[in-house]
Amino acid sequence: MNPFRVALAVARKDLRSEWRTREVVPALAQFIILALLIGNFGFQVDSRNAASIAPGILWLALVFAGLVAFGRTFAAEREQASLEAMLMTPASPVAIFAGKAVAASLLLIACEAVMLPALSLFFGTPFSADVVAAVLIATVGMAALGCLFAAMVARVRARELLLPLLTLPLWIPFIIAGGQAVQSAMGLPGSYSEAISLLIDFDILFLVLTSLAARFVLDE
Amino acid sequence: MSMLVADGLTHRFGSERALDNVDLVLDTGEHMAVLGDNGAGKTTLLRILATALRPTSGRLTIAGLDAFGERRRLRHYLGYVAHAPGLYPALSARENLEFFCDLQDVDRSRVDEALATVGLTSVSHRRAGELSRGMQQRLAIGRAILHDPRLLILDEPDASLGADAADLLAGLMHDRTAVLATHDHALANRLCPRTLVLRHGRSLGTATHLRVVR
Repeated sequence: MNPFRVALAVARKDLRSEWRTREVVPALAQFIILALLIGNFGFQVDSRNAASIAPGILWLALVFAGLVAFGRTFAAEREQASLEAMLMTPASPVAIFAGKAVAASLLLIACEAVMLPALSLFFGTPFSADVVAAVLIATVGMAALGCLFAAMVARVRARELLLPLLTLPLWIPFIIAGGQAVQSAMGLPGSYSEAISLLIDFDILFLVLTSLAARFVLDE
Repeated sequence: MSMLVADGLTHRFGSERALDNVDLVLDTGEHMAVLGDNGAGKTTLLRILATALRPTSGRLTIAGLDAFGERRRLRHYLGYVAHAPGLYPALSARENLEFFCDLQDVDRSRVDEALATVGLTSVSHRRAGELSRGMQQRLAIGRAILHDPRLLILDEPDASLGADAADLLAGLMHDRTAVLATHDHALANRLCPRTLVLRHGRSLGTATHLRVVR
């Protein structure tokens, strides 16, 4: 059985469901805009400090939006009892996990497509390809980890509480390296290429680890 | 030849023993009903037989293979209808089955046949979430037979099927080995020559002609 075909089918199914129900993306986009607005009014942002404040607000909004997006991926499957039906097929649990992670990442990227121009609008920071690249590269590793923990806690009653407790500590490397990359892309001191290399290293590390762990998490 | 051999299946949820040392042998083509009150352990037993749940102890062999060692391979042989339909409400009936064709690695042309078998051809374009409970149950049954399994594990599939439940199930079970959990003693008698009765997780034995004594 081709695992790519399975992953593609799972991702397509999740995206089609989201397109029809519009359950996650509009709410997350709204949350992101509100977070940026609060950040804009909460800090006295002007042209001198915007580049140092904006990356922090960006990562805060992204982290909380990510928790919601990744948390829903497996919670919805558990609620409608469809995860067991998927796992009762001969399809590889790793391929199923990959498909769900890809779909959740694309949903978060859709939110980022709203967030990055809005960040530029509210904070007057440059909207550059470097900023977009840093956020996209970080999203890959964050999605892998977020989906793994979402799958782990999906069967637990207090999953909304447990998911951030498990996920946030492991997202810290992405926030540090991503923050540095975005800051240097916005003109602050620091090496952009070093931060991006670090993000890519984290992506590779966590993609390998989550692929190995996914089998045990999903395969009861 | 035995299709299914269960030896001392026991399952605990925490300190509670949901299934206690159940033995079972089912020959190829044989149909067996599982009866018992709510909480008797029917669903736990069926989930273990479907390899969806690993027992705390005991051994299960299906088609000569260790059920939990060869779980993924066995899923080509197994069709399981769970207590909950487990469908995607935003997808149409057809899309639900097409998705599971991809996961089962079977051709999507099987979808039309499965829809016809469970009588849902006319509503195949409707979203699963808009179907009645009985239609959803039919769709879940259609999903279980997409890959033409040799062994069917059916957990109260008749719960909301309506008047033709027995005929539909008889058609599905024909030429297949099947385990059927139900509360309907008449249905069990009609479809299954053998019956296993569970109480508080323990087997009270099997009978070939069911007589219920309260």
